[in-house]
Amino acid sequence: MRALLVDDSRTMRRIVAAMLDGLGHAVTEAGHGEEALQVLRGGFVPDLVCIDWNMPGMDGLELVTTIRANPAWNGMTLMMMTSQVEQDQVIRALTAGAQEYLMKPFNGEALRAKLAQLGLLPEEVAR
Amino acid sequence: MSAARGSAPPRITDLIDEAAVQGIADETWLTLLGTEEVLVPAPDENPEDAVSAWVEVTGPWSGAVVLTCGRTTAEELSRTLLRGPVGGAVAPEDVTDALGELANVVGGNIKALLPAPSILGLPGVGGRPPGASSADICSVALLWRGQPVIVSVRSAGGCVDMPERPERDGVQ
Repeated sequence: MRALLVDDSRTMRRIVAAMLDGLGHAVTEAGHGEEALQVLRGGFVPDLVCIDWNMPGMDGLELVTTIRANPAWNGMTLMMMTSQVEQDQVIRALTAGAQEYLMKPFNGEALRAKLAQLGLLPEEVAR
Repeated sequence: MSAARGSAPPRITDLIDEAAVQGIADETWLTLLGTEEVLVPAPDENPEDAVSAWVEVTGPWSGAVVLTCGRTTAEELSRTLLRGPVGGAVAPEDVTDALGELANVVGGNIKALLPAPSILGLPGVGGRPPGASSADICSVALLWRGQPVIVSVRSAGGCVDMPERPERDGVQ
């Protein structure tokens, strides 16, 4: 499984990348929305894109909207990972096209549970 | 809850209390740093060589959520977050980033308790956080591994050091 992790915080990228690696995902990182789009336009097709909301420049919601506007990227699962925890925010993200929403702070078990719900745990990890 | 035109913005002490702030800080520490990384209430003690990280909230209530600790504590927080070796060096930019992310997580969760809709700003880190002169503060003094950490929510009202935020399309 391949994941694209988009967060302007190097700290969070290191933490989440370690979690995803432990859950059987090969992780590519991007520090902001435009960088994520460059990665995708370069031909990288992840199974999962984990997106932070609060980023400079293009924020996570704009990135979700932009990805969903491209039919070639329809197969990717988008999961918002953010400290913005209000119900209205969740609705906005899901309406824009994210399939899942994970509220910070979260640990590896919470991420594992979300990936299991999405069917994105490799068989050897899911067992 | 929206402030009517001409009426004063709500005071932070009318919106949240210390228990709520500490609850969010507790969850953040235990989840991100580890289940043994508890915060305990402490006498109000300003950290030596203090550094702060903050996020601004702009909306019916405007202000900042601020984490303040000593520089040594900030390094240790970063090392713990990044699962680095005990006593190992942490690059200054990693300390800044880690502290900012803690403020982001705490601030985002506190924002959910405040009147909506509001915008959460990007983290800032430095020696003088916004709202330093605010008289409207909800503050919790804590100890982490015996070192002081202060979590405060500070109103912007009446302060000259809160910058204007450009409006984005709607609010976040």
